[in-house]
Amino acid sequence: MASIPGSGTLDRVRKEVERNALRARNGIAMATGLKRTDVGLTPKDTVWRSGRAELWRYRSDDVSLKPPLLIIYSLFNKSYILDLRPGNSVIEKLVEAGFDVYMIDWGVPDERDAANTLEDYVDYYIPACIDRIQELSGTDEINLFGYCFGGTLAMLHAAHHPESPLRSLTVLTTPADLQQCGPMTEMMARTDLEDVIGKDGLVPPGVIMQGFRTLEPVGEVTTRVDLVEKLWNDEFVTSYQAMTGWATDQVPLPGGVARQFKKLVVENGFLEDRVYLDGDRVRMKDITVPFMHVLGLRDHIIPEPAASPLVDLVGSEDRQELRLDAGHVGLMLGRTAHKSTLPKVIDFLKQRSEPIS
Amino acid sequence: MGIPGPRGLYDRVEKVAGPRAREVTHSDEFAQAASVVAGLNQFVRSRINRVAAKAWHTVNLPAGTDVQRLNNRLGELDRQVRLLALELERERARGRAGNQSSKDAD
Repeated sequence: MASIPGSGTLDRVRKEVERNALRARNGIAMATGLKRTDVGLTPKDTVWRSGRAELWRYRSDDVSLKPPLLIIYSLFNKSYILDLRPGNSVIEKLVEAGFDVYMIDWGVPDERDAANTLEDYVDYYIPACIDRIQELSGTDEINLFGYCFGGTLAMLHAAHHPESPLRSLTVLTTPADLQQCGPMTEMMARTDLEDVIGKDGLVPPGVIMQGFRTLEPVGEVTTRVDLVEKLWNDEFVTSYQAMTGWATDQVPLPGGVARQFKKLVVENGFLEDRVYLDGDRVRMKDITVPFMHVLGLRDHIIPEPAASPLVDLVGSEDRQELRLDAGHVGLMLGRTAHKSTLPKVIDFLKQRSEPIS
Repeated sequence: MGIPGPRGLYDRVEKVAGPRAREVTHSDEFAQAASVVAGLNQFVRSRINRVAAKAWHTVNLPAGTDVQRLNNRLGELDRQVRLLALELERERARGRAGNQSSKDAD
């Protein structure tokens, strides 16, 4: 005699049928491009530009702290990861905290940027943006904040320009020991860069993306399996589209910067104190402003052994390192970011700011 | 222990294959192989470009590489102008600040 399934089994079947219908709907919408996720939605104005680089000022009626905060983004991908989605945005949190927030977006380089060097960014663009911020905000100083390679640019600027009007320097997931960064820098050190630099003088985005893929070779497959499993969940699909969209939205790297970066990797420039800009020796010890480095213990792009020596390289008396159980992006987005990283970064910055009277 | 579903099956495969794949991509041999492949790729591309350029030049037309070279030179010029403009702007700002402070002193 066949047994009649219980109501629990029927509920499970009904739920799975419903989920499959939602999976089909979301799958078709994604495949046909009907379902798109908007990113970088915090309102902002472009207040300065030169070439592809732009300085953005985020709109706020509730700026309660000074000096202004300048965020320097990396050269390797697009800056909207810091303003991914409403409710999951570093920028939004910083604006809500009362800061006058600016960000330098480097844009998408083309032939005109092929010969760009680190000096272009550190000695020209960043100082020009600081001048513009001082003009707009009417303050003498700024707090500087760098993410990933943007942290490297911020550090190089602070070290090469001790006269720069910085109140503090905060960097997130920034490498110091470049020979501990894994296969990407390992391949870079061994390869003749001229073999990968395209005819336009840029390292193509595809090469950079393949480099990132080697860090977690099955990561992409796992992400797709996760998608199939949770395709019924609209919220998951939205954040999946935003995240994977960003991860595959690489920008080319100027060949001039790539050549200098390779030299830094081969000579392990930061650790061996062999960093030169425009013929000057640049010492991280010359950074004396209050300093904080936030690193992720599960970061596979800038692993802990590559990031941890950084705090001891700077000359600041007021310096600290924050180690969090998060990955490279998890430091800025998601639960860890909202519970740990951002409150601590905001607290550090608030202590180095004062209320606007 | 029950029979794993498709997700369980993937997780089991990933648990074994993931660290092995990571080991491969993090090895010296992989870095060396990637460097050799990049070199070969460049060699083949430059040979193809050379042949194509020769063909265009025989009919007195510029090849893609000639146009690209011109583009790159224009790009370099654009960069120099950009940096000069930034330097000029900085000097202007310094001049303004200097004038202001001398006015204040008066």
